[in-house]
Amino acid sequence: MVESLSARNIVKHYGGVVALTDGNLEVHAREVVALIGANGSGKSTMSKVINGVVVLDGGQLLLDGKPIDFPSPQTAKNAGIATVFQELSLIPQLTVAENIWLTREPLNQFGMVDQKTVHARTEELLALFAGTFKTDLHPDAPVASLPPDEKQIIEILKAVSFDPWLIILDEATASLDSRQVGRLFELVQKWKEQGKAIIFVSHRMEEIFRIADKYSVLRNGRTVGAGNIKDINEKQLIKLMIEKESVLGFLRGEAKSGERIEQEISLEAQSLTTDYLRGVSFKLRKGELVGIGGLRGQGQRQLLHSLFGDLPYSGTVKLFNKEVHFKHPREAMRNGFALVPGERAKEGLLYIRSILDNLLLPSWKRYGLPLKVNQAKMDATQTGSSLNLKMAGLEEPVSSLSGGNAQKVVIGKWLMREPKVLLLDDPTKGVDVGTKAEFYTLLTQLSEEGKTILFYSSDDEELIGLCDRVLVMYDGMIRTELSGNTLTKENLISSSLGVTNGGAE
Amino acid sequence: MKQSGWDALVARRPALFALILLVLSLIINFILQPNMFARETLNSNMRVFLPIILLAAGQAIVILGGGIDISVGGTVSIVNTVLATRVGLEGSPEQMWQFVFLSLLAGLIAGAINGFFIAYLRLQPIITTYATSFIYAGLALVILPNPGGGIPAQIVSLYRNSTPFSLPLAVYIIAIVLLVWLYVSSTRYGKFLFAVGGKADAAYETAVPVTWVQFSTYVISGLMAALSGIAITMLSGSGNADIGGPMTLNSITAVVIGGNALSGGVGGVAGPIMGAITLGILQNIISFADIDTWWETLIKATIIVLALAAPGIVNLFRRRKRS
Amino acid sequence: MKRISISPPVAALILAVILFLLSGLLPNGFGSDLDVARAQATNILRLAVFLGVIAAGQTLVIISGAEGIDLSAGSVVTLTAILTYVIVNGANEKVLPALLVSLAVGAVIGLINGAGITFLKISPFVMTLGMSGVVTGTIIIVNQGSVSGKVAPIMTRLIARPLSPEIPIPNAIIIWLIFGTLMWLLLERTAFGKNLFAIGVNRVTARLSGVDVTGMNLATYSLAGALAGFGGFLVVGNTGVVFIALGQPFLFPSIAAVAVGGTLLSGGKGSYWGTMAGAIVLTLITSLLTTMQMPESVRRMVLGATLLILISIYGRQRSLRQ
Repeated sequence: MVESLSARNIVKHYGGVVALTDGNLEVHAREVVALIGANGSGKSTMSKVINGVVVLDGGQLLLDGKPIDFPSPQTAKNAGIATVFQELSLIPQLTVAENIWLTREPLNQFGMVDQKTVHARTEELLALFAGTFKTDLHPDAPVASLPPDEKQIIEILKAVSFDPWLIILDEATASLDSRQVGRLFELVQKWKEQGKAIIFVSHRMEEIFRIADKYSVLRNGRTVGAGNIKDINEKQLIKLMIEKESVLGFLRGEAKSGERIEQEISLEAQSLTTDYLRGVSFKLRKGELVGIGGLRGQGQRQLLHSLFGDLPYSGTVKLFNKEVHFKHPREAMRNGFALVPGERAKEGLLYIRSILDNLLLPSWKRYGLPLKVNQAKMDATQTGSSLNLKMAGLEEPVSSLSGGNAQKVVIGKWLMREPKVLLLDDPTKGVDVGTKAEFYTLLTQLSEEGKTILFYSSDDEELIGLCDRVLVMYDGMIRTELSGNTLTKENLISSSLGVTNGGAE
Repeated sequence: MKQSGWDALVARRPALFALILLVLSLIINFILQPNMFARETLNSNMRVFLPIILLAAGQAIVILGGGIDISVGGTVSIVNTVLATRVGLEGSPEQMWQFVFLSLLAGLIAGAINGFFIAYLRLQPIITTYATSFIYAGLALVILPNPGGGIPAQIVSLYRNSTPFSLPLAVYIIAIVLLVWLYVSSTRYGKFLFAVGGKADAAYETAVPVTWVQFSTYVISGLMAALSGIAITMLSGSGNADIGGPMTLNSITAVVIGGNALSGGVGGVAGPIMGAITLGILQNIISFADIDTWWETLIKATIIVLALAAPGIVNLFRRRKRS
Repeated sequence: MKRISISPPVAALILAVILFLLSGLLPNGFGSDLDVARAQATNILRLAVFLGVIAAGQTLVIISGAEGIDLSAGSVVTLTAILTYVIVNGANEKVLPALLVSLAVGAVIGLINGAGITFLKISPFVMTLGMSGVVTGTIIIVNQGSVSGKVAPIMTRLIARPLSPEIPIPNAIIIWLIFGTLMWLLLERTAFGKNLFAIGVNRVTARLSGVDVTGMNLATYSLAGALAGFGGFLVVGNTGVVFIALGQPFLFPSIAAVAVGGTLLSGGKGSYWGTMAGAIVLTLITSLLTTMQMPESVRRMVLGATLLILISIYGRQRSLRQ
């Protein structure tokens, strides 16, 4: 059994972009190391170095003190290193079992895949998470048909299926609900006892303190601190990550007063129904910042996308007391709606196009024929600087930006249109703490300008700290509404789980 | 997201539509030509279909792996011209078999060249094989500038008239291809093929030898094209450097009718074989239906378009009914 | 580590110039005679116009992504060339109606392509391939073995002849330059162009940013059809005769021209300038080989090898391992 792996003075460039200048990480058997850092600090690159997905530009990997080289993911895997990827490495066309055992299928004497063994072993693995699945998950289900959290679990099972000694969990909890996270942590404890090592990459402080034994902090591609988690607290960790302390203040925003009750109702939904939503009704006022809570996948996405005209629905939606029924996002957009979708890369950005083209995509029609490109550039520059967008230039591709800056582009393209209603689907997912703080200021400011904001977040702290009211969704319905005194973490969690002892019904 | 029975069935059995089309066209053909299942008629049909069936099977593998091979027609032409010029009408059967072996080698090399550029140099498949198709077709023309040459009559007769156990030779060959596919698809390589065609970068991260798998699909396609070239030479008994050209697009049409997604990762080989047979039967039907020659091309093309459109039309109606 | 980067259109143009200069050294090349050199250059450019215009529609559908391609372009060229030939029948006043009919017929065929691809979810490759067969079938029926017609003098004057005796630039080249500018305006200076690139990169993002993806797809394929129709009109104006196989030889070179010009075959990135440069390179190579009296077989092989080399230089896709 291997006892330790260390990465020393790792350097990695992507083209001209430097991802790591001096990355260091040390992990031993029977411990969990939390790899922490703001977005773009090089966390993902660090895990890709360890599992052989990227070529090193400098530095050294040591396995039990001996230098080792991973020229391909296969060699790292042979050395007992498994990765749970943030960007899923599953193949949608294959089944659950085929995905888990890909490249390691048990074969019979004719070289054919032994279906019986595959089936039995897959069932064993699925049993590890039994009871946390929303669908009837069986080994022959095609992966394309699974919800995101279950795909993530298959990804975890795939990694542990070959009994590695080191497991890298790269943002593996980001799409899991609390029950699934709980189960994962139980498993992590078990793996530790079996002599395995775990590298845990996450943005969630609470989870880090719950599970990690050690920490290692990256800032701008450099390891700036490491040690025992017992010797440090949340504040100190964040300080290491960003060097400024101002952020925490925003996590607990000032308590909101009831002044907005005077405002007129801007957006109203009556028994909104889709194949997932089961009659959702609410009223939002002008200038209100309303959160949507609940476990992941309770219909939050469907609600936002239906309102934006992206999904067909039945029911009534009124905008400033006038009934509207959008059949295409374009109609919603023309009526002053904006949607920041949940999957930035797949739904929010044109990856290979320039920042300019991304920012202006919804607005080009305003710039005449032929397009007044100079005017457009000026407007884009203005939006960019108002959002504190860090970029080398408007002509650079969006793919050159870090996660937080890329998200600013998604928000920026809507701000250029001065929307009246802003719908956001988990906008701070995978965004570093510093940028999160900027978003909180921005959202508060926008609501003060009189915009209506409806905003789903998977981060309970965010909802409590930021929102006037929180609508908690459960199984396609709004289960509870929390506001003022009832808006507490306890109530939020209990109503998320479908227990309604906390808030007002 | 619940799938209705039909959707699930189509997702699990992409070749279902090909089967329906095949049965339909067989019925129509049978009405027009009641003796079509007699040994002689069946054999004369199947021996004509075989070259395109072999070509479609190879094309299916490339397409499953996420690529496409426009150069297969060129390979068919090379094999055809080599056999027709080097063996000759007066050649001995031994010579023929020697050159059959050489032809397979040629197909392998042609496929390996495609595979090298696409898998190792990472060029786009459609444009790469389009470029090599010019090279291969040009080479065939160098070998045999004008149609002519040939292979020994007894070899032609062996191919055209063998009907062991009253079944055409082609049926046995198809059965062998299907059995091999059945085996291959249940091996690890088979899983790799679907994984690479489905999502190549995910497969790479899972340590699937993506480059090697992509390379291998072109080699297989080159080999199948060589087999197809051998078959068509044994069918026609003569050489023509332009013989393969029109077969390329037919092989792709057969694969698509057979239910394989052009984007890769979905389908199999049985569907494309059914697709190829359907295309052949369609030609039969048109010639038996006593249609004015001027109309033949249009009718054939329209039927193909409708066949390709049919699954989409069915889905369109189903969606409308639901909403 | 900074890579030397040169944009594909420029690379293609440089290649064209080098090839052209080298061709002067051939036994029957222009040698040191500048007048002959100029005449040859002009002639090659004039020939490139037709391929260039036909490849314009191809550029649009390829940029639109989702495996966009138009394999019906060749047969549309033949069809509209024959229609123009028959409608004009030697009369100058029928030229404009013939042009409009060419554009309209091309647009309708393109629209059917677009509808099949968008609504019936048929892959563009097979849809346009099938449509090519349908169009060819239609031509055979309309044709029934022979057509009678004639191009009008004004067409020859406007397409094949030079601008004026003093300025020996063929009108076709001038038409092409104007056409190229219009294409640039369309792609870079209209919302349509911006939306076209957007759907080429990511259709979900485009839709969620208010782009009517369905409408864009239909419009793009119609426009591509219309441009192929325009190509047919120009071709017949140049050749003055029609036959069934008139358009087909343009089909694959039109795709190659787009690729050589550096447009991503997967969509979302590219330019019409690049396609123009690509068309010039391909035409140049073909005519060089003809000048060298190479047989058809060698011409094919050299064309294939050149294309392979060019895309090896800048057509590489992103590597799996970074």
